[in-house]
Amino acid sequence: MKYFGGCDVGSTYTKCVILNEEGKMVANTTVRSRIVANESAKEALERSIEQVPELDSIDDLSYLIGTGYGRNKVPQAQENISEISCHAMGVHVTNPAVKAIIDIGGQDVKGIAVDTDGTVKTFAMNDKCAAGTGRFYESMARAFEISLEEFSNLSLTAKNVIPITSQCTVFAESEVITLVGEGKPRDEIAAGIQQAVAKRCFVMAKKAGATDAITLTGGCAKNEGLKRAIEKVLHIKVVDLAIDPQLMGALGAAEYARVKGMDKEN
Amino acid sequence: MKDLKHMIYFEHLLEDAHNDLVRQAKSDGRLALGYTCYHVPEVLMNLGNCFSVRLRAPNTGSVDIATYYMANSACEYSRALLERAIEGNYNFLDGLFGVDVCEPMNRAMENMALLHLHDDHAKFVRCYLDIPYADDEDCVEHLKEQLTRKILNPLHEVYGVDISDAAIRKAVEQYNKVCRVVREIGNFRKELNPVITGSEFHKICLVSFVCPKDLILPYLEETLEELKTREPDAVSRFKARVGIVGSEIDDPTFIELVEDSGALVVFDRFCYGSIPGRNEIILTDDEDALTQICRQNLKETECPRNCAYHKLDYRKEHVKELHDEYKADGVIYEQMKFCTYWSFERTLASHVMPEEYGINVLSIDRPYISRSSGQLRTRVQAFVESLEFKKIKSKKQAREN
Repeated sequence: MKYFGGCDVGSTYTKCVILNEEGKMVANTTVRSRIVANESAKEALERSIEQVPELDSIDDLSYLIGTGYGRNKVPQAQENISEISCHAMGVHVTNPAVKAIIDIGGQDVKGIAVDTDGTVKTFAMNDKCAAGTGRFYESMARAFEISLEEFSNLSLTAKNVIPITSQCTVFAESEVITLVGEGKPRDEIAAGIQQAVAKRCFVMAKKAGATDAITLTGGCAKNEGLKRAIEKVLHIKVVDLAIDPQLMGALGAAEYARVKGMDKEN
Repeated sequence: MKDLKHMIYFEHLLEDAHNDLVRQAKSDGRLALGYTCYHVPEVLMNLGNCFSVRLRAPNTGSVDIATYYMANSACEYSRALLERAIEGNYNFLDGLFGVDVCEPMNRAMENMALLHLHDDHAKFVRCYLDIPYADDEDCVEHLKEQLTRKILNPLHEVYGVDISDAAIRKAVEQYNKVCRVVREIGNFRKELNPVITGSEFHKICLVSFVCPKDLILPYLEETLEELKTREPDAVSRFKARVGIVGSEIDDPTFIELVEDSGALVVFDRFCYGSIPGRNEIILTDDEDALTQICRQNLKETECPRNCAYHKLDYRKEHVKELHDEYKADGVIYEQMKFCTYWSFERTLASHVMPEEYGINVLSIDRPYISRSSGQLRTRVQAFVESLEFKKIKSKKQAREN
């Protein structure tokens, strides 16, 4: 049996997926990214390889593709592919009915329209600042002195929404601290933050031409409060994926590795 | 491919506005005339012992001081020029010719004057040209009057430069030699496996703008001869061919970024590019040279500031022609952040070119210096991958049919 790897070195987390010849996911790992990208990739790859008894080292992978911001730092990778293409392919192999993606990563937000074969039809990207990204959420949760999961749950309990006017991460944090200081209900402030991010996602989704069958990928996809807020602003039901949405980039890279590796063999 | 003999020298020349060849010409007593925009006919700054230097701002760090004098919303190119001017980078100039084509550039030049940056040069000549928006004969006459009153007469009166018709025609001959060589080098990019990359060509084109024409010409001619026998790589490292259309690019690292992402840059339809920047000037004997230069400059400009319908259509049609002629798979429409004219043109093109002309388009805005932009790299790489997959799909379809 041959095995194929995809390693997504993101700004916050590094993810690795290994597929077998049939495209079945046999291993996956998520680790916190370190300052040196290739060390994160090596750790994620080694941990994934440990999950497959037939594999001893990275060399045993038939084909390996890197993706994410550190895509060219993945040790022994045959090539690298942008995370935009990989997220599209990852979602396509998980659920071919999904035609659009909002990928909320650690440092950017992307809207991606997926073609019928999993390639990218169009994409839009907010890469000018950290507003609406994973870093933004970390900053907001820090202001509330709670975890990201607690933050998501808190926003779901709100009966009203207090709008957040600042888009800048730094100023938004300051606005939140002011609102908390004024004694405003924390759940409503949290819901306001979710709404602000959802509006940014709306722009990306519309720019990429999303009309229906949309899903969320990236670490922030696990934020149930954000998912609800996006459904509200987009008027579209967000499709839940059967596989961890944070793994979509690595899965797409592994699928490309499988196709390219098998093609090379033949 | 084997390295080009003069490429490292060309890169060295681009590291400083006051480069070795500019210094050489200055030490020979020649006059350095700075300008920034295609709308100032370059050839008129190459009369007699004058030579033109199209201004770039290499080695720009922070632009905080320029931002104080201008505004955050001024394009980074204009701010970088003012910052480097304040730092003394353009003290070698004997004249500076600005245009009122865009507000930020106007403000940059105005601040250079207000800050007395060239006051220790007793004879320094400076002007702002009023450039027409259209290209009819009234506009030709207007431009001619502007150039005569604001550039030619001051050069003659202050420096004694010969501005006769014969002198202009002589300058055109030299100018055309440079254009011919640069365009001939650029034509290699039409080949399926070219002997030159887009970033190499961009550097060649840039040195032709920033060095005295007579001094750079031998290097360009030698490079052309070298290219005629240069062996291309057996297997190209590029996945797609793209053209770049848009605003000012004088940063070779931007073209390198695109090519490192897998796309060979095959045509350059941007300010500081060869199209139309390196078009020859065709003169007849039926009319004075200055009138003909003005007419050609107004006819051939592709600046989106010219918003007459026939100019709008011409720009779109021309991109389509270039796309086909250079066998491109797609076009990158780029704009320097805060460039007003190109922001409209780019947004329109991102819809019109795919929908009406069937051209794959990536639309981006970019900083003045792009080398460290990982996000820009991701955008370009994703575009290249989509072009590659489209090619694979169409080949597969062709096989199945």
